[in-house]
Amino acid sequence: MSGHVQPGGAPIILGVDVGGTNTDAVLMQGREVIASVKRGTTFDVGEGMFAAVEAVLQAAGLAPQSVASTMIGTTQFINAFVQRRGLAAVAAVRVSAPMGDGVPPFAAWPQDLIDVVGEQGYFVQGGAYFDGRIYAPLDPAELGRVAEDIRRKGIRSVAVSACFAPVRPEMERDAAQMIRAAYPDADITLSAEVGGLGLVDRENAAIMNASLRPMARDVVAALVDSLHRAGVSSPVHFSQNDGTLVSAEFAGRFPIVTCSAGPTNSLRGAAYLTGLDDALVLDIGGTTTDLGFLVRGFPRTSLLPRNIGGVRTNFHMPDILSIAVGGGTLVRETSAGLALGPGSVGFELPTRALVFGGSELTATDIAVCAGQAQIGDPSKVRDLRPSLVDGALDLIHGRIEDAIDQMKTNNKPVPVILVGGGSILLGRPLRGTLEVHRPKFAEVANAVGAAIAMTSGKVDRLFDYSGGRDAALTQAKNEAIKVAEDAGADPATIKVVEVAELPMAHMRTNLVRVRVRAVGELTGIGC
Amino acid sequence: MFRVENETQVHDMARGAVFLGGGGGGDPRIAALCLVDQLRQGKRPQVIDAASLDDDAFVLPIAGVGAPTVGDEYLLSMRTLKRLLEECQKFYGRRIDALISAEIGGFNSIMPLAAAAAADLPVVDGDGSGRAVPHIEMTTFSIYGCRATPAVVTDDAGNVAHIFAVNDRAAEEIIRATCVGMGSSVVGVFYPMTGRQAKETAVLGSLSQTLDIGRRIRTARERQANPTEDLVDYLNTPSKQRFARLLFAGRIVDVARETRDGWHWAQVLLSRAAGGEPEFSLEIQNEILVARQNGRIVATVPDIITVVDSESAEPLPAEWLTYGQRVHIVGYSADPKVRRPEAVAVIGPRAFGFDFDFVPVELPT
Repeated sequence: MSGHVQPGGAPIILGVDVGGTNTDAVLMQGREVIASVKRGTTFDVGEGMFAAVEAVLQAAGLAPQSVASTMIGTTQFINAFVQRRGLAAVAAVRVSAPMGDGVPPFAAWPQDLIDVVGEQGYFVQGGAYFDGRIYAPLDPAELGRVAEDIRRKGIRSVAVSACFAPVRPEMERDAAQMIRAAYPDADITLSAEVGGLGLVDRENAAIMNASLRPMARDVVAALVDSLHRAGVSSPVHFSQNDGTLVSAEFAGRFPIVTCSAGPTNSLRGAAYLTGLDDALVLDIGGTTTDLGFLVRGFPRTSLLPRNIGGVRTNFHMPDILSIAVGGGTLVRETSAGLALGPGSVGFELPTRALVFGGSELTATDIAVCAGQAQIGDPSKVRDLRPSLVDGALDLIHGRIEDAIDQMKTNNKPVPVILVGGGSILLGRPLRGTLEVHRPKFAEVANAVGAAIAMTSGKVDRLFDYSGGRDAALTQAKNEAIKVAEDAGADPATIKVVEVAELPMAHMRTNLVRVRVRAVGELTGIGC
Repeated sequence: MFRVENETQVHDMARGAVFLGGGGGGDPRIAALCLVDQLRQGKRPQVIDAASLDDDAFVLPIAGVGAPTVGDEYLLSMRTLKRLLEECQKFYGRRIDALISAEIGGFNSIMPLAAAAAADLPVVDGDGSGRAVPHIEMTTFSIYGCRATPAVVTDDAGNVAHIFAVNDRAAEEIIRATCVGMGSSVVGVFYPMTGRQAKETAVLGSLSQTLDIGRRIRTARERQANPTEDLVDYLNTPSKQRFARLLFAGRIVDVARETRDGWHWAQVLLSRAAGGEPEFSLEIQNEILVARQNGRIVATVPDIITVVDSESAEPLPAEWLTYGQRVHIVGYSADPKVRRPEAVAVIGPRAFGFDFDFVPVELPT
């Protein structure tokens, strides 16, 4: 598909989504999608990327030099971790003795992961109390011995985690320096670089990152190289979990921060295509409907811990609700009445649904019979009883309305954005919603989401409220804004998009855990 | 009697412990990770019936005290747990025969098993409340005359405090203050008791009950049965003076929270259907204290009021409750030992400042 380039208009942005199955590319100028293509992801990801980039430039009739900036979103790293592919062995150095030896690194990791990553853990002296006081100093000799042992075992990837590192990050930095003094080749991830409070979850993230890093560097290099081969010489950025950008170099060092960029980009892309900042996005596929909530243009994140490939982490992942309603969902009449799912014919929809000559009654057949869509052979469903069709539509709409309601944070109706092939299932107004949008280019929403990404800064630590809540919150916001500026955000565009306060139960103290996120446009991009 | 042998059991126990916590008691996860590590090292902690204890056996309740956010960084130290028990042996001048949980709801259900694995001691199948309680003087140990002190509290740095209090209310204040001085998360031993006292004052069978409840929920899911219904049927055993009821099924439409004097307070409103008027409410002070339907009280402390996910029956700690969740509210009568008048006087609604009496969960219809 292609639109028109405005000569002398806003800079041209190339957005690429390198997914597990497809590599999608879009060219955007300002708010306009100029061209979009979909290509298969290849085993050597650079090849698929090259093909998609060449094709999208050709579709737009643009020279590669006209691309001002390239944004890449990829699920390669998360997929690799889940499939235990290309992972490096890791030595985990826990700086917490005399605390925490009852829960060693790798505790409760799945065996198939330990088989690949190993479970080489060390406990060394050091760490801080919750208020930042150091309870044990680092011992350079001890860290030197540990480094020597790691080197001897032939492990290069190292994760360092210290008790209350988010409050005293220098403890991990100093420990890393002492390790490097004895083992200069050690490739070290610090836990405070990749996670917030909660030592086990943060350490898990650091180990995952250390394990992915060698492969991530190669993948990032291959993707950047394929861009160069296609003649694109613009700066390259990668999308991270929260829908903001990091440099290619940073993505290679911290692959873990990109692990949920897929759903985030899809939500943000869908919203962008409709021009809405606050909306509920419904992605109705063959088997499930995924719901996500956009708040001020960013996905609402979940407070609950998430498992990635069997390991619990404390990333702020988009809060996605999946329900078993999709185009392939089976509709059955049972003694207890009409039943919708949870079974689905999934990717076999094109052969097993009635309208495609199959023998299974699916939600798609119901939609076709009700005249909500013209696909397949409508005559195959002409004889379905109206009461059956009505009843099934009641169930489909009811299930989705319930899910919408579950995602909302209050009773106010919200605008809804529908994407995905299964959106034909909905033909009636939805309770609890305002208007329903069905944007063009929804099929490449991921790549659009990558193309429009901004840059951000985060802070997540304990703040002292003795001087007043307002003063503490102002300090937290200023810290987040500073981090965003350091990450390349244009100061004029920075805004605070999230402030969460989590009081500490069971403690008579003025300390409150505060989480703030600030975002801004990348300097020099501005659309 | 049984041994904890595998990780599935640990996760089942943790799930059951959250259920019995009635919204409070703290996340057992760190203790569960610690216990899983002990299992991986070949330990198989033993759970024994109180009946098998000699009357003059020496039994120690062991517990963690402190802020969960802090505990999530400090974790647990086996060295500290071992040192605490060695310290106790010296301090009390007796060989320890068994450990027991002080409260079965939440973190302190699993933690004694980790300590038992470290010290090769058995754990008595029981605890001091059958649920979670916010204060030291609210356990059945305390209520039935087993004093909380002399107690021993320690931190990972190696500081040890021996506490002698004039009564258990004072013990509560002193132990909290000690906890803050030691970095806000400590482990300790309280209510030193004989085997006979354990049999008389403990809520019995509650540790194996965490396993039963957690397993029940998991297997109901696997059978694709309705896990909440299945659990309520299972728990409702009038012949044993235990009653369980599904109090409400609906969605959360409002959560108002605040932290007052170190306690998590909240009020949660629920409605039956989307967009419906709120008709059910929960009042929370760490644990869920009161449930009302259309203003009428349907359950109160000391009975256990727990919120579970409507699909999976996963029990939800009170701090995880948010707008929009679809939930079932289950009421489960406290152990008969916890419902006697002398116990209700200490942990009934009036002890939490409410102006009404205990309403047993089986009474309202």
